[in-house]
Amino acid sequence: MDPVIYINKIVDVVVVFNHKNNPNICMPIRIRYQNKNIDLIELGLRHPTRKGSRSIHIFDMSDGQNDYRLEFDSESLLWKLIAITNTNYYV
Amino acid sequence: MFESNLNKEQPKIMHIDLNSAFATIEQQAHPSLRNKAIGITNRISPNCCIIAASYQAKSIGIKVGMGLNEAKKINPEFIILESDPAKYHYIYQQLVSIMKNYSPKIKMKSIDEGIIDFHNTTNLINQTILRKIGIEIKETIKQRLGATITVNIGIGSNQFLAKLAASLHKPDGMDIIDYHNLTNTYKNLKLTDLPGIAEHYQARLNAFGVYSPLEFLNTTADNLKRFVFHSNVGEDWYYRLRGYEIDNNLTKLGHVGRQWVLNKPTNDQSFLASSFQYLCQTTGKKLRYKNVDARGLLVWLRFTNGENWYLRKMYKTSFYSDHDIYQRAIYLLNQRPTNLNVQTMGITCYQLTKTARNQISLFDNINKNNWLTDAVDTINEQYGIFKIFTANSLNSTKLVKQKIPFGGTEYFNLLIESN
Repeated sequence: MDPVIYINKIVDVVVVFNHKNNPNICMPIRIRYQNKNIDLIELGLRHPTRKGSRSIHIFDMSDGQNDYRLEFDSESLLWKLIAITNTNYYV
Repeated sequence: MFESNLNKEQPKIMHIDLNSAFATIEQQAHPSLRNKAIGITNRISPNCCIIAASYQAKSIGIKVGMGLNEAKKINPEFIILESDPAKYHYIYQQLVSIMKNYSPKIKMKSIDEGIIDFHNTTNLINQTILRKIGIEIKETIKQRLGATITVNIGIGSNQFLAKLAASLHKPDGMDIIDYHNLTNTYKNLKLTDLPGIAEHYQARLNAFGVYSPLEFLNTTADNLKRFVFHSNVGEDWYYRLRGYEIDNNLTKLGHVGRQWVLNKPTNDQSFLASSFQYLCQTTGKKLRYKNVDARGLLVWLRFTNGENWYLRKMYKTSFYSDHDIYQRAIYLLNQRPTNLNVQTMGITCYQLTKTARNQISLFDNINKNNWLTDAVDTINEQYGIFKIFTANSLNSTKLVKQKIPFGGTEYFNLLIESN
């Protein structure tokens, strides 16, 4: 079984911007997905990438149980939940 | 007896090496994978090859280059992930940025390792002890990239000793090799522990009666040149081992190419032509990225029976467009033995010259072809590489993936755009 569930859907996200918290200046802290709130507690890595001329920021996050991959499109200003990794699979 | 010949200059070269780079980057990105035996591969399949392994995996005997099946036999819970070039590119950029804070003279040796040359830096940096700078760099990397990502730092009077020093205590180590501790360091090493010495060179040295780095150091330049390496390479090793810099040569771009291992070996002409067209397009993109034109073309194949075949041709005029490369390549490819199944295919453009593509040709058909290439490139730059490609290579764009290059990083930006 593949532990990664691909979602690829636009979601609502609560984000905190804290200029002192370098390098995690921008940190998503909550996702609203399927009428549930998911509270994110750790930012693994943020890295930028490109889709053509569009700049995308990818956030690899964790809620302490599962890993979440979020994409922020800096042109459309939309957040997308790309994938959830069921980490119990790895235990 | 060797000490009079050693380079007694203060060490000014720092080698920085990310520990198990791809694996630790993934462990940083995915908290759930930390402290677990994980590996990275380019494409997950039962027989795929592990291109990076975490230290936890290495500690139980899983090595880079091993097949997934073999690794699973050692540890059934071994986790394999596909490589994520964009992530590694970001870390690479951050590493370059940190290194550039200390000296304008930095050189990236590959995606995960680079060199800072502290010669001719400002007094503020020049007069600081390099060990202190090393500690500072380690801290900066942890702060900017995450605590899981660690580096080994080696300091020496040349690139060779700096790299050797960086390999002594992994992970997260820092060592200095200078003329004081050079012979003591060599005492505790095997020949193959030296960067650049693998089985082949070891066999040459053994044949001359050299079995340890210390004996290697004890061999005269003349003997190394005349009896061991039979060339100037021997003399280079004589100076390299003593801490003199001889690896500072600039390399010239000699050839540009692409190869692909087929998922399913075949001799089907239409499939091979389609895949080849895609390889020609990626090669053309590399040529144009490097602003060079080619005059020579080599097409090569490896068959399932282990035989190799190649054909090369030099042309009177230079070329750079995808169409020109493909036309020439398919002509060569069609002369292959058609009864054998192809396992690996490759194309190499050589005899490279600075591009003359701004010059308008007397012949309109050549201009139209070049303008079409420029237009396609412009559109692809805007919307992403390979948004427009030839219809013939439609299936190949899904099959042939650009993956992480080892060694040089010169096409890294291009690779990121195409993913």
